[in-house]
Amino acid sequence: MNVRDTFSYSLGAIRLRKLRSGLTTLGVIIGIAAIVALLSFTQGFQVAISSQFQEGLATDVVTVTSGSGTFMSSPDEESDFALYTNDTALIGSVEGVLLSSAVSSKQVTAEFDGSDQMLSLTGVNLTAYQEIYSTFVTEFGEIPTSPADNEAIIGHTIYDPWGNGTHPISVGESFNAYYTVRNGTTLVPVNITLTVVGVLEEIGSSAFGPSDTGLYIPLGSAMDYFDTEEVSRIVVKLASSDEDFIATVSSSIEELFFGEVTVNSATAILDTMESILGTVEILLAGIGGISLLVAGIGIMNIMIVSLMERTREIGILKALGAKGRSILVIFLGEALIIGIIGGGFGIVVGSFLATIFSSGMSPMGGQGPSRFSSSSSLTITPVVTPTLMVMALLFGIVVSVVFAIYPAWRASRLMPVDALRSE
Amino acid sequence: MTEVLQVQDVTKTYMMGSVPVDALRGVSFSIQKGELVSILGPSGSGKSTLLNLIGALDRPTSGTLFIEGIDVSTLSDNRLAEMRKQVGFVFQFFNLIGRLDAQGNVDLPLMISGMPRRKRKERVLEALRKVGLAERTTHKSSELSGGERQRVAVARALVNEPSFLLMDEPTGNLDSKTAQEMMNLVVELNDELRVTVIIVTHDQEVANRTRRTLRMRDGRIVEDRVN
Repeated sequence: MNVRDTFSYSLGAIRLRKLRSGLTTLGVIIGIAAIVALLSFTQGFQVAISSQFQEGLATDVVTVTSGSGTFMSSPDEESDFALYTNDTALIGSVEGVLLSSAVSSKQVTAEFDGSDQMLSLTGVNLTAYQEIYSTFVTEFGEIPTSPADNEAIIGHTIYDPWGNGTHPISVGESFNAYYTVRNGTTLVPVNITLTVVGVLEEIGSSAFGPSDTGLYIPLGSAMDYFDTEEVSRIVVKLASSDEDFIATVSSSIEELFFGEVTVNSATAILDTMESILGTVEILLAGIGGISLLVAGIGIMNIMIVSLMERTREIGILKALGAKGRSILVIFLGEALIIGIIGGGFGIVVGSFLATIFSSGMSPMGGQGPSRFSSSSSLTITPVVTPTLMVMALLFGIVVSVVFAIYPAWRASRLMPVDALRSE
Repeated sequence: MTEVLQVQDVTKTYMMGSVPVDALRGVSFSIQKGELVSILGPSGSGKSTLLNLIGALDRPTSGTLFIEGIDVSTLSDNRLAEMRKQVGFVFQFFNLIGRLDAQGNVDLPLMISGMPRRKRKERVLEALRKVGLAERTTHKSSELSGGERQRVAVARALVNEPSFLLMDEPTGNLDSKTAQEMMNLVVELNDELRVTVIIVTHDQEVANRTRRTLRMRDGRIVEDRVN
C-alpha cells in the first residue's frame, strides 16, 4: 500500500469513531498543552528575571550585608553584627574595589494628597550612589551635590503612579512621612517632612539598587531620622564585572569582616535563581510528561479496543492480500494522525494557557495603590520558541506512535482465518 | 488447458485444546482454467477448511497445494499474503467494510497491491459494471440490499483479475429470488468472461448450476462428478 492510501484509510477509521478519537486526541492535547504552557511560562519567567537583573543592577556592583548566612538563613541564627558608615573605608582598602557607599533604609508611610503609601525610605550618599548605579539619574529636578537634610529624590512611579499625568507629588512640593516606634505601651509616630528636589527616570522593575518606588534622602539625614548608627548595607562598585573577579573580591571582603558579612553579587544571585528555575522547569516538564504518559496509555487502551472491534476488518484486509506490515502501518498511521492533531492543538492551547497564566501573574497596570505594593513584580511574557513547538509536536507524535506499537503489532499478527471467523 | 489449482494429498489437522481433529484426510483434485466447480458438503465435512487452504489463508498440515503453479503450502506469511491476490475471495457474509462505499470496497485489493490511484478508478468501475452495479458506485454498503452487497463483493473479487473466484456460500444469506440472480451472474461471468469459479456450498441447488461438483464428506472427496 502506498503512503497516501494508508493515510487516507487510517483517517477514515479515525473519522468513523469521532467521539472516541476526539477523546483520545484530547488526552494528547492536554499533555502537550501542559508541557508547552509550563515550559513557555517558566522560560518567560526566566527571561523576565534575567532582564530585571541585567537592567536593574550593574553587574559590577556587590552588596555587603551583615550576617554570615545566605538569604535563606533562619532568623534565629542571625548575628548581631552590624555595619557602620565608616566600614566603607575598610572595604575601600580591598583591592579591586573602586567605590563603596553605605545605605540605610526603612519602610515608612508617606502621605501624598491624603493617600498613604508604604514605601522604602533610603538614605544614601547621593553623589556616590550616582556613580555606582547608572540608573540613579533624574528626569525632573536634579540630584543636589550638597543636599539639605530634608531634600528627597523620588522614584518615577511615586511621581506618576497611574501613567496618566496625575501626579500626587512633584518637584518642589513637600510631603510628610512617618514610621512608628513603641514607647512603653504607646505607639509614637516619628515624623519627617521632605521636599522633592528630583524625580528619577523610569527604571523598570528591579530588585536591587534604585527603584521606581523608592524615596532617597542624604545618608546623614536618614541616620538621624532613623536614630541609628548602623547601616543596612554597603554597596560596592568593583573594577570589573568578570565573574571570577567578583567571586575573589567578594571573599576578600568577607574575610576582612571575619565572615560576619555576606557579599551578594547580582551575577551570583542570578546564577542561583537560574539554577532554581532550571529545577522548577524540569519539575514542571515532568508534570506535563506524566499527563502525556497518561494520554499515551489512553491511546494504547483505545487502540486495543479498536483492534478487537476491527478484527474482522483486519481479516478482510488480509484475505484481500494485505501483509502484516500494511496492517501495522495502518494502525500506526492512526496513532500518527492523532499525535499530529493532538500535538498541533496542544501547542495552540498551551500557548494560550501560558498567556492566561502570565496575565494573571503580572500587575494589572493602572490600579493605583497596587502599583506601589507590587513594586518588584514581573511582567512575564511566555516564550514559545519554534524549538519548543517542534519538540512538543515531535513528543506528541512519538508518544502516540510508541504506545500504538503494541496494539498495531498484535493487529498485524492476527491470522486471517481466525480474524475472519470473529464477529 | 492450464491448471489454476492443483491439490495433492492435502491434510489438515487442528488442535481442539489438546485433541487433534483431522479436518482434511487427504484431498486431491485439480481445477482447469475456465471451469465452474462446486465443492458440496454438509457442515463438518471439511469444506471450510479446504476453502481456507484454497484461499491461501492457511497452510495444509501435509500435502501440496499449487495456485497458478506455485506451491503455497510452505510459503512465508508475506508470500502467502501475496498469493491471495491470485484468489478472488467472495465471503458468505459479504465482508464489506461498512464505512466505505461500493467503489471504496472494490478498490481495496488494488489499494493493497499498491496500484497508483489514477489507474484504479477505471478498473473499479469496470468491475462494478461487470456485476451490474454501474449505477450504485457511491452507495455505502449499508444503503445496499443483500444481493447488491454480494455483487459488490464479487466485483471486489474480480477487480484484481485473479486466477479464480472462490465463493463461500454465495447464496447463503440471500432470499431464493436474489440467490437465483446471483447464480445467474456467476454462470454469466463464467460463460462470457471465462472467469474460473470455485463455489463452496452445502446447497444442492447451487451445486446443480455448476458443471462439476466435488462432494465432500468427513474430510475426503467422495465424488467428483461432471453434471
